[in-house]
Amino acid sequence: MIKLRKVNKTYPGIVPLHVLKNIDLDIARGELVAIMGASGSGKSTLLNILGILDNYDSGDYHLDGVLVKDLNENRAAELRNRMIGFVFQSFNLIGYKNALENVALPLFYQGVSRRKRNAMAMEQLERMGLADRAHHLPGEMSGGQKQRVAIARALVTHPSIILADEPTGALDSHTSQEVMQVFRDLNAEGMTTVIVTHDPGVGAATNRIIRISDGMITNSDEKNA
Amino acid sequence: MKLAIFDIENWREIGATLARNKTRTLLTAFGIFWGTAMLAMLLGGSQGLEGIMRRQFAGFATNTGGAFTGTTSIAYRGFNKGMTVQLDDRDVANIRRTVPHIAMSTPVNSRSVTAVNGSHSKSTRTIGVESDYFRMMEPIVDEGRLINESDVSRARKVAVIGRNLASELFPGESPVGQYVSLNGVFMRIIGVVAQKSDVSIAGRIDESFIIPVTTGQRAFNEGNRYGFFIYTAEDGHTPAELQKGIRRAVSLNHPIHPADESAISFMDVSEMFETINNLFIGLAILAFFVGMGSLMAGVIGVGNIMWIIVKERTREIGIRRAIGARPVDIVVQILSESVLLTLVAGTSGVVFATIVLAAADKITSVPGFGAPGFEISFWLAVVIVATFFVLGSAAGTVPALKSMKIKPIEAMREK
Repeated sequence: MIKLRKVNKTYPGIVPLHVLKNIDLDIARGELVAIMGASGSGKSTLLNILGILDNYDSGDYHLDGVLVKDLNENRAAELRNRMIGFVFQSFNLIGYKNALENVALPLFYQGVSRRKRNAMAMEQLERMGLADRAHHLPGEMSGGQKQRVAIARALVTHPSIILADEPTGALDSHTSQEVMQVFRDLNAEGMTTVIVTHDPGVGAATNRIIRISDGMITNSDEKNA
Repeated sequence: MKLAIFDIENWREIGATLARNKTRTLLTAFGIFWGTAMLAMLLGGSQGLEGIMRRQFAGFATNTGGAFTGTTSIAYRGFNKGMTVQLDDRDVANIRRTVPHIAMSTPVNSRSVTAVNGSHSKSTRTIGVESDYFRMMEPIVDEGRLINESDVSRARKVAVIGRNLASELFPGESPVGQYVSLNGVFMRIIGVVAQKSDVSIAGRIDESFIIPVTTGQRAFNEGNRYGFFIYTAEDGHTPAELQKGIRRAVSLNHPIHPADESAISFMDVSEMFETINNLFIGLAILAFFVGMGSLMAGVIGVGNIMWIIVKERTREIGIRRAIGARPVDIVVQILSESVLLTLVAGTSGVVFATIVLAAADKITSVPGFGAPGFEISFWLAVVIVATFFVLGSAAGTVPALKSMKIKPIEAMREK
């Protein structure tokens, strides 16, 4: 599903910062993977590259068989829209839109008709157990509910992969476990999921932990969970 | 992916964004509203004022000049200074014979008279003229007819009565066909007239009797004398051009030194008219610049507000970009907001200005004269709105392009 070969990324500056050094990474379809590392280790940069939010300097990145390299903004937007579902630490819901509208938004950019996208969004909200909250604004929901709305939004386009950036970072431990259970359930249904975290508890709930340190992958544990 | 501009959702979204900040939207909209309204009102208003001013001259030939005689101030040909120069038949004949490019002309005699109709009596004046007079100062004819050439050549004892005078001397009846005594001389009234223009020579028609000048000469023992002479220049000539020739013609008959300014003097209505014309050209230019100023203020307001909106929504734009909005989707969204704002506010501004102008037109219109023309043409209105539309969109472009450059990761990092 994800194949990185010798990917390098340097942030230019007076002192150029070489944040990713010859990264090789393979993530298979249906995996639930955590990328862990200290802050400044390059894990966020790696996630941004995986999410086509940032570009890299050299190497190759194939996502679901598509070479993601030197894309223009429009193509990048289209790939993000169709192949990737994002879940962020701070939810990143649009505050003046209700849950249903937030979930339907990616479909809006695909040009899906209003009726159809609302039906699809409702389906995802039901899946997250939030059908009764469909017309609530994010401000009227709890953190866990907001994150489940965000997950519903990530799922609505039926992406190849879910990328989650510290999805439990803003949640208490009980809610964190609930959200992780959602990811595990999705994974059980076959959804490839990559979670960036520094929380060992979150890492432990995944099937594989990729540790990154100083721009290099230090180990990639396979374990049974 | 299709363009979001054709999607109703996009318009709902714009509506929602504009409605979220009602005060701000309202103030910005008011800036544009006022800008267009001011521009339209100034342009229409200056046109209306010009119409009012032109109305003062309605029916008055604007290329009219007059020649007036006085007393000599320089001794000449053996005559002392202080001689009174009196225009007479010979002078008028000489002017008409020797001076080219006179279109219409009439000598004028004005005299105070007592007018009597039965028990009604009134101190007033007669204005003795030839038939050209009514072509140079076109009156409103309430009833009857005007003085014609044959009345003048036969010195018929006929008179045209002014409207106000008619109502005083002939209350509740038509004076046409009746006789009035002017200083004891009975004349038949042939018409009732009112003055159209606010400009008059030899007194307002409304308060006077107009009689054939020849009739006046005989009836009031004026011999062959005239008070003054008025004329219009042919097209392509000004009254002032003809002054030299008239002076020469009059000098044939009177001992006037060529440099004597008081023996014969001139009046030129076209110069007055020119001054007023220039005034209105100036006013139109002023209106244009002030209007453009308020227009620019409105446009800058739009640009400013769009800038703030982009700043404020950076994070939201980042989220949208992350979940698949193309840069063009964002630009279309931001631009449609400014376009919608300018279009709605601009159109209402023009509509408002049109209502104000229509009211001004109604208030200032006078029966018989029509409205002065406080209005803007349909196409001017379209041009104003279109200008605003283009400038408003242009003002929104800079922030919109800035929004296009927003990188999703950086935008979302902003808390």
